[in-house]
Amino acid sequence: MVKAELIKRSPLRIFEKSIQGGLGKGNLGILASRKGVGKTACLVHIATDKLFQGKHVIHVSFSARTDHIINWYEDIFKEIAKKQNLESAVTVHDEIIKNRVIMNFNQEGITTVQILRSLEAMIKYGNFAADTIIVDGYDFSKCKREDLQTFCEFARNMDLEIWFSASLKGEEPIFDENGIPYELKPFLDEAAVLISLKYTNKYVHLELVKDHKEIVSADMHLKLDPKTLLIAEEDD
Amino acid sequence: MKELSKMRNIGISAHIDSGKTTLTERILFYCKKIHVMHEVHEKDGTGATMDFMELERERGITIASASTSVEWEGHTINIIDTPGHVDFTIEVERALRVLDGAILVVCSVGGVQSQSITVDRQLRRYGVPRIAFINKLDRIGANPYKVVDQLREKLNHNAVLMEIPIGLEDKHTGVVDLVEMKACYFEGEYGEILRKDEIPHALREEAEARREELLDTASMISDELAEAYLEGKETPELIHESVRKGTISLDLTPVYMGSAYKNKGVQNLLNAVVNYLPNPSEVTNVALDLDNFEREVVLKADHNAPTVALAFKLEEGKYGQLTYIRIYQGKIKKGDDLYNTRSQKKFKIGRLIRMHSDRMEDITEAGVGDIVALFGIDCVSGDTFVSPGLNYSMTSMYIPEPVISLAVEPADKGSTDRMAKALNRFTKEDPTFKTYFDEEANQIIIQGMGELHLEVYLERMRREYGARVNTGMPQVAYRETISARADFDYTHKKQTGGAGQFGRVAGYIEPLEDGKFEFVNGIKGGVIPTEFIPSCEKGFKAAIERGTLIGFPVVGVRVVLTDGQYHPVDSSDMAFQAAAIGAFRKVYDKAMPVILEPVMKVAVDTPSEFQGNVFGSINQRRGIIISSVEDGNFTRIEAEVPMSEMFGYSTALRSLTQGKAEFSMEFLKYTRVPKNISEELIKRYS
Repeated sequence: MVKAELIKRSPLRIFEKSIQGGLGKGNLGILASRKGVGKTACLVHIATDKLFQGKHVIHVSFSARTDHIINWYEDIFKEIAKKQNLESAVTVHDEIIKNRVIMNFNQEGITTVQILRSLEAMIKYGNFAADTIIVDGYDFSKCKREDLQTFCEFARNMDLEIWFSASLKGEEPIFDENGIPYELKPFLDEAAVLISLKYTNKYVHLELVKDHKEIVSADMHLKLDPKTLLIAEEDD
Repeated sequence: MKELSKMRNIGISAHIDSGKTTLTERILFYCKKIHVMHEVHEKDGTGATMDFMELERERGITIASASTSVEWEGHTINIIDTPGHVDFTIEVERALRVLDGAILVVCSVGGVQSQSITVDRQLRRYGVPRIAFINKLDRIGANPYKVVDQLREKLNHNAVLMEIPIGLEDKHTGVVDLVEMKACYFEGEYGEILRKDEIPHALREEAEARREELLDTASMISDELAEAYLEGKETPELIHESVRKGTISLDLTPVYMGSAYKNKGVQNLLNAVVNYLPNPSEVTNVALDLDNFEREVVLKADHNAPTVALAFKLEEGKYGQLTYIRIYQGKIKKGDDLYNTRSQKKFKIGRLIRMHSDRMEDITEAGVGDIVALFGIDCVSGDTFVSPGLNYSMTSMYIPEPVISLAVEPADKGSTDRMAKALNRFTKEDPTFKTYFDEEANQIIIQGMGELHLEVYLERMRREYGARVNTGMPQVAYRETISARADFDYTHKKQTGGAGQFGRVAGYIEPLEDGKFEFVNGIKGGVIPTEFIPSCEKGFKAAIERGTLIGFPVVGVRVVLTDGQYHPVDSSDMAFQAAAIGAFRKVYDKAMPVILEPVMKVAVDTPSEFQGNVFGSINQRRGIIISSVEDGNFTRIEAEVPMSEMFGYSTALRSLTQGKAEFSMEFLKYTRVPKNISEELIKRYS
């Protein structure tokens, strides 16, 4: 399969369809679940899909080691290439890797303003026209509403979309009757899209909670393949 | 053999002018003095007045040793000379992996400066536990408290004061030990008499407060101490234990202070080295198993295990070449056989030496963890010596090809010999530094891993060998390769009276991934006699030495010979070589040749405020930013940048960051040159 075909056939087209064609520039999206369910895999798949389309991605993380993150990308790329039998995979890989930058921060003591200042430096001075920013491992329990508002403003000013992952802590139940995570309620206005990952019947399902202003609580008919850790159609 | 728990291998690292040399001298002096004192007492009881002057005289030479062995309180401390400034990964690795711990010397006036930051970061990256020593308390403007804050803020150390000063500047007389809660005064002509006394009244309150800080921090490391502290039952032993644990796990940095110049505080620092820095068995070391795809193997701190040792430094001494080694596993005995895994040669251990501050000691064996020297071993720095039967290497055997070259010539007659001597030495010390004679240009060429790399050696040639050298412009080591398969059919024919020349070769060339050159003989039915096949291969090999695009070596070519023809009289070795060369020249253009350039992996450490400038500078140089890691006020940026764009980067970086950023680079890979640059290179060549 050639690259163009691969993009067309990606399960992420279903993903985008269910959220009105995608997150959209100037917007924030949140993937929420408990720890270890598969948020990073989802985010990296979303990012890789953007990279396939020739878009630029900045991956922001708060773990100590960037090589772990690079490995995530390598694994997800390998799985996609294998599954779709991608032609000249090595060339495609080298091509898309140029459009990805990883920025790692030490979460302790760093402010939203500092993070955004560094992102701006990368975009402006590094001449890196990011289309999507992935923020993995952001600590929502320590974050204020103003922080997300600042991110929102940044997304609008820089004309890009930002995907967050939110690790849900606390005691059950963590979701309310509409499927909204209690912990994220303060930030609901800022998030254009909210998706939760839930473990039910052997699979991790993607459930759309908020879709551009509306609370929908709909099944996206997507799952996280437990073997490849790729987003996949449910009846796949 | 020494008990492992009584052995320390340490480095002393410091910023220029923070008093590293004086401190090292004092350490050697006190160790020697105390050591000798005992001996003298035992022998004739003439007392402790050893000949200080004589030691003083000897000091000059001893400090230059790569490793000096001293005794302190029944412990052997090997003090390893660490390079002050290192730009190249291979050197950093080699120097730092020998250390199990380090003393970080900081000036109480100048504080933590950018060079300390670099050195400290390298130590942290290699997981080396540290003790800080705030020196020069006798200087005007001394402020150890400010320096402790800097250790915390600038270096991110969990720095904890183990002492406070008694008086500063010209009133500096000693320190208060916060563990024992005693004042320490250093008396006698050379401060060699340590007198403990009650804490001066005026310092009581300050000492109590600082001790509380110490206990709060140390309690975080050990529950046992925390409990005892709550009940008011903490003991010096519990505190030592906890500080030791925290130091080794890099969670805590004990801070000592004094004035080496005025002979104050050094003995306490030595006690701290013994108390808090790890012994060799407390540090995990790994080797690479060469029989198993360089898989990592954890070495055992066991005298009886097979030997694994690393040659980390070569030194030209009065009596020949000294090779300093660190033993990571097993032991080394005079007369034993060892195997050099790089050269794959066995050798016998002749003289085994331990270097003391004032003398060389011949020893018969040395055990795991120890640092000793061998005489007259033919090897290069970074070689691994093992017991026969083992095939481990302490460093990866993969030595990258040099990516930059420079023509050098002696500036005067006297320098010719000196330069040759220096080059000979450097190539032994550093496998990534190469030199050869370019016959065509009649020049000596040196090659290395980067501009700075070569600059360091040029500087050393001048300083250490007194060789004055003129240099040419640095040259990037480009490569050429082919990107398509192409067929050839070439006949070499000459008939100029006498015996003629005849040979015909036919076949194809194609790209070869991961390799330089491959020759496949697909000749059937003897259309080219077997005796001439090697001639063909030789011819092709000669042809790829120089590509026709820009005259650089061609790599990644597979030549498949499928057909040919010979003449019973006119065919010869020469004729087939010529045929192969001619065939390659002719087919090369058809195989879509491209130029490859070396790409470096560049790492820049910069204060975060300048990261935009650094991003910009990498972008301007056709670089790809791979990652940026922000930690505290510092950001480490990793990128891939073509070598050709990195000339003069150190100067550019200095001006972009007010001299506060540092960078290192190493060769990563060869990649295709973009079209516009390729065209320019070709134009310049032709």
